[in-house]
Amino acid sequence: MIPILAWRNIWRSPTRSLVVIMAVALGIWAALSLSGFATGMMKSYVNNAIENSVAHIQIHQAEFLDEYKVEFHLADAGKVEQEVRNVEGVKALSVRSVSSAMIASSKGARGVMVKGIIPEDERMVSTLSEKIVEGDYLSNKGKNSILISRELADKLQVKMRSKIVLTFQNLDNEITSAAFRVTGVFDTGNTPYDQGHVFVRRPDLNRLLTGEVTTAELAHEVAILVNDIESIEAVAKELQEALPALKVQTYREVSPDLELYETQMQSVSMIYLVVIMLALVFGIINTMLMAVLERVKELGMLMAIGMNKLKVFGMILLEAVLLGVVATPIGLLLGYATITYVKNNGLDMSAYSSSLKNYGMAEIIYFDIDPSVYWQASLMVFITALIAAIYPALKAIRLRPVEALRSL
Amino acid sequence: MNVITTKGVEKIYNPDKIPVKALNGVDLDIEEGEFTAIVGPSGSGKTTLLNIIGGLDRPTAGAVEVGGQDISELSDNQLIDFRKEHIGFVFQAYNLIPVLTASENVEFVMLLQNQSKEKRDARVKELMEAVGLEEKMDKRPSELSGGQQQRVAVARALASKPTFVLADEPTANLDSSSTANLLDIMARLNKEENITFIFSTHDQRVIDRARRVVTLVDGQIATDERR
Repeated sequence: MIPILAWRNIWRSPTRSLVVIMAVALGIWAALSLSGFATGMMKSYVNNAIENSVAHIQIHQAEFLDEYKVEFHLADAGKVEQEVRNVEGVKALSVRSVSSAMIASSKGARGVMVKGIIPEDERMVSTLSEKIVEGDYLSNKGKNSILISRELADKLQVKMRSKIVLTFQNLDNEITSAAFRVTGVFDTGNTPYDQGHVFVRRPDLNRLLTGEVTTAELAHEVAILVNDIESIEAVAKELQEALPALKVQTYREVSPDLELYETQMQSVSMIYLVVIMLALVFGIINTMLMAVLERVKELGMLMAIGMNKLKVFGMILLEAVLLGVVATPIGLLLGYATITYVKNNGLDMSAYSSSLKNYGMAEIIYFDIDPSVYWQASLMVFITALIAAIYPALKAIRLRPVEALRSL
Repeated sequence: MNVITTKGVEKIYNPDKIPVKALNGVDLDIEEGEFTAIVGPSGSGKTTLLNIIGGLDRPTAGAVEVGGQDISELSDNQLIDFRKEHIGFVFQAYNLIPVLTASENVEFVMLLQNQSKEKRDARVKELMEAVGLEEKMDKRPSELSGGQQQRVAVARALASKPTFVLADEPTANLDSSSTANLLDIMARLNKEENITFIFSTHDQRVIDRARRVVTLVDGQIATDERR
């Protein structure tokens, strides 16, 4: 009877109850949408990073990671490549040679990371080939072609077919320079990345690093994509066992910022929820307090005829929880609809894209959400309603029947 | 057998500021099956006495025994349970639960007593028939007249099979025919089921029907007349 009583009580003032129900539902919707936005943004950032260059797993000589010194190359790149291909779950790989360098045009110079790639292999691992906005993707015409980003081209004030000079230390620790011709311009949408990376064909870079004519075997980095994103850790473990002398890292280890992002999302969603629920607490307190204060006489009567304080307390709590129970599915549904829609259609943030690009974010955000956020939101509403009802419920049980009965 | 015994009951409101002595040494015995009206002018202490007998208020001095138990020693929660088991209340303003139907209102106290569904249903039916409202079981209080609501209130008061029923000015808001009807029902229940009724009232029609009339003046019993 008390649940029935509580349920009917909340519909005594339908408008008042509906207002608080809509407030809670909108709160859930907002929390889910914000969480969807943040998670979508995170995923776009992580996926961009994975697709642009990091891939799922990278293999290096351990010392190479400290200072990117070219001498710490993979001892036998061909054998490493073969070992990697033998591991189950590996979808594609790209063997790269890497060197830090100074890139200079007649108008300026900058420090960059030069990646020597086999274009066909790289195409399987990164989306670089799809990000070409001018020229082509290191198609094999002549020596010393270079792919630079739109950002860098603007900084250096170079155009297609311009000549630029790369200067770096070779394996003998001697400074060496070579002229490259810009044959393609790319734009990944990630400004910091674009400004810091250029791509050349691996034999071209190797020749300069070693001073020899054909040294396709020299490499510093193997970038690997796996078939199933869930199996990254397992594949990495297997690779590490196959290649004990080398350092195998997942993208989370290669770019700790990515892991930070991923792990932060849970807490960010939680913070959104908590902040919104905190605001809702006051809405619910207000509603429940009104519900108690306008029923003083009735509550007095209930206690007079034998309803004990625990039951009165429980009834008020239950009324608040029932408001939440009505509101939660509405909010979840609204949130789910919003997230699903934006997941499929995307939210165009291009009006803010220049600042987003500076942080390596995509221009169009596709919402995404960890399904656990749905039940977290539901649980939070339940807790919020309970907390918010405590004060009104205390107020109710502190009534003295003899006085309450006399009130109007 | 006495169901209620008060000994030297005093009640002083505002003892610290402006003390008002509402009851000044009331000694009263109510026997089982009595149909008692407590009368007196406004401010004579009728409602205060009823509240104290009903365990809603505590005396400043003196003792109240119900069925041999001193209820002034009970805690608030014990008093609530005590009221639930022993006392039926009928209020001047009916005070039904507006969101429950007539039969649910009657059933409510039995639910608080954890009685079984079969017992509750049977008792609800029996009581609704006794007050002549078997046709109005599923009506909410707002769909009933004042007289009908007060009859539901009487049925509710009896649902828990209380030791006695306290009715505070039960007819104050009723017209003549409703009053007569209500009094008929209560008199019959008193006679047939030996239920003890105690009223506070101004209403001459109630006083005329009472078999014992206790008159309070200035918080003391002025006359106590058995008919």
